[in-house]
Amino acid sequence: MTRYIIRRLLWVGLVVVLIVFLAYVIFFLMPPVDPARAFAGKRPTPEVLETLREQFGLDRPFYVQFGLFVKRLVIGDEYGWPGFGFSYATRSPVREELFQRALVTIQLSLGAAVVWLLMGIPIGILSAIKRRTFVDRFAMGFALFGVSAPVFWLGLMFLYIFWQKLGIAAGTGYVPFGENPLTWLNHMIMPWVVLALLFAAFYARMVRGNLIETMGEDYIRTARAKGLSERRVIVRHGLRASLTPVVTMFGLDVGTLLGGAIITETVFNMPGLGTYVVRSVFQGDLPATLGVVVLGALAVSVMNLIVDIVYAYLDPRVRYA
Amino acid sequence: MSYVQAEGPVPEGRGPLLQVKNLSVHFDTPDGVVKAVDGVSFTVGRGDTLGVVGESGSGKSVTFLTVMGLIDRRYARVEGEVLFRGRDLLTMPDEELRHIRGDQIGMVFQDPMTSLHPMYKVGSQIVEAIRAHRDVSKKEGLEQAIELLGKVGIPRPDERARQYPHEYSGGMRQRAMIAMALALDPDLLIADEPTTALDVTVQAQILDLIDRLQQEFNAAVVLITHDLGVVAEHCDEINVMYAGKAAEYGTRDDVYYGAHHPYTWGLLQSISRIDRPRTERLRPIRGAPPSLIHVPPGCAFHPRCPYVMEVCKVEVPKLIAAKGKHASACHLLLEEKERIFKEEVAITS
Amino acid sequence: MIALLTALTMVAAACGGDDGGGGGGQDGGQDGGGEKTLSLAMESFVQNCGFDPTCEFVSYWSMVYTNVLLRPLMNYAHVAGDAGGEIYPDLAADYPEVSADGLTYTFTLKDGVMFGPPVSREVTSQDVAYAFQRMASQSQGAQYAFYYEGVIDGLEVQKEDALDIDISGIETPDDKTIIFHLAEPTPDFAFRMAMPATAPIPSEVADCFKESGEYGRYVVSSSSYMIEGSEDLDITSCDTMQPISGFEPERTLSIVRNPDYDPATDDPALRSNNIDKFVVEVNTNVDDIFNKVVAGELDTSPDDPPAEFLREAVGTDRLPINAVDVLWYIAMNLTQPPFDDIHVRKAVNLIVDKDGLLRAAGGETVGGIATHILPPGMGGPTPEEYDPYATPDFAGDLELAKAEMAQSKYDSDGDGVCDAPECKDVLLLSRNEAPWTEYNPILEDNLGSIGIEAQTRELEGGVAYETMSTTSNNIPIGAHAGWGKDWPDAATFFEALFTSAAIQPGPGVNNNTSLVGITPELNDERELELTGNLEGVPNVDAKFDECGALGLDEGRVECFNELDVELMENVVPYVPYRWDQEAHLISDDITVWEFDQNAGEMSWAHMDVAG
Repeated sequence: MTRYIIRRLLWVGLVVVLIVFLAYVIFFLMPPVDPARAFAGKRPTPEVLETLREQFGLDRPFYVQFGLFVKRLVIGDEYGWPGFGFSYATRSPVREELFQRALVTIQLSLGAAVVWLLMGIPIGILSAIKRRTFVDRFAMGFALFGVSAPVFWLGLMFLYIFWQKLGIAAGTGYVPFGENPLTWLNHMIMPWVVLALLFAAFYARMVRGNLIETMGEDYIRTARAKGLSERRVIVRHGLRASLTPVVTMFGLDVGTLLGGAIITETVFNMPGLGTYVVRSVFQGDLPATLGVVVLGALAVSVMNLIVDIVYAYLDPRVRYA
Repeated sequence: MSYVQAEGPVPEGRGPLLQVKNLSVHFDTPDGVVKAVDGVSFTVGRGDTLGVVGESGSGKSVTFLTVMGLIDRRYARVEGEVLFRGRDLLTMPDEELRHIRGDQIGMVFQDPMTSLHPMYKVGSQIVEAIRAHRDVSKKEGLEQAIELLGKVGIPRPDERARQYPHEYSGGMRQRAMIAMALALDPDLLIADEPTTALDVTVQAQILDLIDRLQQEFNAAVVLITHDLGVVAEHCDEINVMYAGKAAEYGTRDDVYYGAHHPYTWGLLQSISRIDRPRTERLRPIRGAPPSLIHVPPGCAFHPRCPYVMEVCKVEVPKLIAAKGKHASACHLLLEEKERIFKEEVAITS
Repeated sequence: MIALLTALTMVAAACGGDDGGGGGGQDGGQDGGGEKTLSLAMESFVQNCGFDPTCEFVSYWSMVYTNVLLRPLMNYAHVAGDAGGEIYPDLAADYPEVSADGLTYTFTLKDGVMFGPPVSREVTSQDVAYAFQRMASQSQGAQYAFYYEGVIDGLEVQKEDALDIDISGIETPDDKTIIFHLAEPTPDFAFRMAMPATAPIPSEVADCFKESGEYGRYVVSSSSYMIEGSEDLDITSCDTMQPISGFEPERTLSIVRNPDYDPATDDPALRSNNIDKFVVEVNTNVDDIFNKVVAGELDTSPDDPPAEFLREAVGTDRLPINAVDVLWYIAMNLTQPPFDDIHVRKAVNLIVDKDGLLRAAGGETVGGIATHILPPGMGGPTPEEYDPYATPDFAGDLELAKAEMAQSKYDSDGDGVCDAPECKDVLLLSRNEAPWTEYNPILEDNLGSIGIEAQTRELEGGVAYETMSTTSNNIPIGAHAGWGKDWPDAATFFEALFTSAAIQPGPGVNNNTSLVGITPELNDERELELTGNLEGVPNVDAKFDECGALGLDEGRVECFNELDVELMENVVPYVPYRWDQEAHLISDDITVWEFDQNAGEMSWAHMDVAG
């Protein structure tokens, strides 16, 4: 098992490097904008352009830049480890802002994850158990809404109703936990719920479907034939089998979100990786963009790995020898 | 809608363990009412072995699922009586029924691969069955489970108990299921097509195992199958079902050496028998099993019966005992039945 | 679960301190103990050079520097209108002494002007000279060093450390005197001394920062306010310095009073210093910014209010509108057919529906119709006074346009509609955002009616600029561009836009996108990679030099107005269509609104909020 994990971790590293390479290729081949020009002001002189190119490292061929980037990432640069270089836009090390923002995104993602699990799974289970009753139909109606409503619309609606009109929720923005835990919570609740709604709906439907299907399996009949209580049959036999795919999905969803929930962060003005990468891409700030790409790729790859391991633990049929 | 049935004569043995009287199970579906079981009666005495034979759709499985209380009453209308040790299981509250299920009546299902939970160790699934009805610790339960696995002929049961179902072979899985069904020393073991999913060689082993265990545990056994050949060696009595009703009932000898129903004749003709010389081809019963929503009027078998008469098309034949407890539901006269058997069935089958 | 969440929200809201809800909580004006705070939010800081005054060339921060943070030798009154274009001594005690030949400018510094914490010492002439040394140090990437290079004797951008650079044209005989020797007479030199990059910089802090933009997180005040947290900056050595806490790039900027500032050294006409604290934050949700302004949680924003907010507030005192000296125009490349024919260019001027474009952009709140190049605030004629291509209601006139087109060589049958192949598939560069998305159909229609089939390429703003400003791309016509002054002088328009010297190779470098003054020799010499017709292109270099040599009292403004006319009637490089206005949405807490005409932004120096 340990060897397997090490092997997979090496793959993760390779995948991240490949993705960064792709990002480099895209950045250099696609835009007609010279990144140095974008930061050179209204009337750039050749000296200014030369200086910027040099300071941004753009005067080297792109494979050299790429090589240096990977090297700095692994070994670290003058700003710390891992080395993400310095941002063209803020002229500050990417690393510090990147990690600050990663923290915000982590809070947003994990909080939303908890919310959607707490919402989605019980609703799914309830729906499956009370199939075709009013409860079921109402729950699936809610699920349809959650899946269909665009996140930005949801966010704006929430702001409008709860902040603007009713005044019971805090508005946009982020307050660090250390500064004031209650205000922090106040600002996080709406983004959590908005972000979670889509997933909760999706998970409710999935859990419902999985559970209904599982409850039709033969081993459920056996469990009942053994004389077990219906509750035990549902929880220990039904859920155990139907939640396994949910675990997989959960890991992947969280992994993706950890790369930045762009729309939610933008609507709620959260200083996370999502808003960071949007700004960086628009401004042509390559190091900052790459920083987010690295973190995002890492998050997804690592979560993939974790999910595989957890799945093997949960379902003995897929265990590796 | 149901009609008076002969009760099925009380068999030899020590008094009826299970008495099913006029059981009918109807399912409401968007296409119509499915009469899965339509007026079935029989008795199982302690220590007996009853074989229940029929094609798919004959109602044989549904009958016993209903006995076990595994049919969802929200979607089915169940009428009749199921007396287990004198108490009607159909009217019993589910809490009580749960204590009988698994404890006093055990059931083994057709496909052991899908009937065992893939994510729990075999041992712990057996332990779970035990601890549902007895107050024992997990450790004790595991010891018992290992012992049971040994009894059903699984080698190295202490290792095997810690393995998962997918690590077992098909035959071993079925043995494990039997072990689980017998874990609480039930008085009745219902085996629903226990060998159908297994290799032929393994089939015989499993059936022998059931025989042996029956002796050891002193249980009654109901063997449900579509294969008349299977019940030949292992059952004392046989109930042949067709389209939700009993077609014929009798001892093993009654059925094999003197069947009284055209359907049974068809079944006999379609199996190959070692104790007879091989003649020409096997002769399947022509036609197909009927829809349970639109059951043919009169005798349900009449569209496929080579000996059909006019009365068969309108009047439902009653299950009437001829000699002893040998009963059949057919309008043919007894002499006719005997004659046809001797002349046509006994020779060709 | 939802009930639980709702309950949780309400508990948190009740106990959660200052952000209780819309309208409640943090008021724009009040904070803590009666402190007057101006709170703003913007979608993005848009700082090209990390907020380092030596290199930063962006207007909003220009206002911040000159209004509250830095004191160059000269400065403006930071008010609206013509008065906002007048120049005054700020760090200097008085206007400079100019020698008879116009080549020597002597400034005397005021006494008692202090750098703020942590430096907290008097500003000297060496600090002013250091600012120029920094601009000359190539690694600082100063973005407008060209305003001083070649103007001040011996000032050359070079690859040396700032303190190692010796500029022969700058003399500091004592702590209070600084003398500039010019290479040639420069009548607008005083204006150049009002740019933020020329403000004094303490070398004991700034010299630690050798790369462009680095100093931006350590800016030391020389004016009435400072970045919050400046006093905590540890300047014992370069290694001990940590970025000042009040400035987080692309997040927040907090500016508070400079305790070392002495109002006696200042002129209330330049700074009222009403407000105690300025807070600017980034908010990625533009609607939210203006919702908060309406709710009173924010005071205002430098960003353009979205249409619905404009509609709702127009005509009230919550939407002050100020003219800024910005021209939006369509540039035609004089070398690319069919625009190499002056009749075609005039026809285009006559056909464009300027009124339609203005309405598409939002109507009168966003600006006025432009009839020539120089915006009215720079001393030129009004639309009523001069409109060389007048059409009824500024909507364009097909008949007049056709009459002009008929005289063109591209209209072979003289019917007023271009029929030459050069009029087919003409690439029109534009932008992919509002209001250009509304403009493009109008322009395509206009051009089409005189036979020019435009193929519109919509690009992101920066990309559009860079594309057309790259000579080798040879783009025939572009509708994406605008231009604003650097100080109130027409030269800051004409030099970059119409002189042949401004045409340079390289990506995004050339602002003279019409290629006025180009010759085949220049094309070869500078390797511009131009295709197209380079012969006989009109040239205004002589007129520009003539006007540029004049002083303000020598008819400079009138001369440049003549150049404007010359361009509009004999060169016709552009279709000017809008002179810009800025509308700001403000909260009720703002008691005094002021606008800095030179910076083209609200004036922090004079605004006031409720106490």
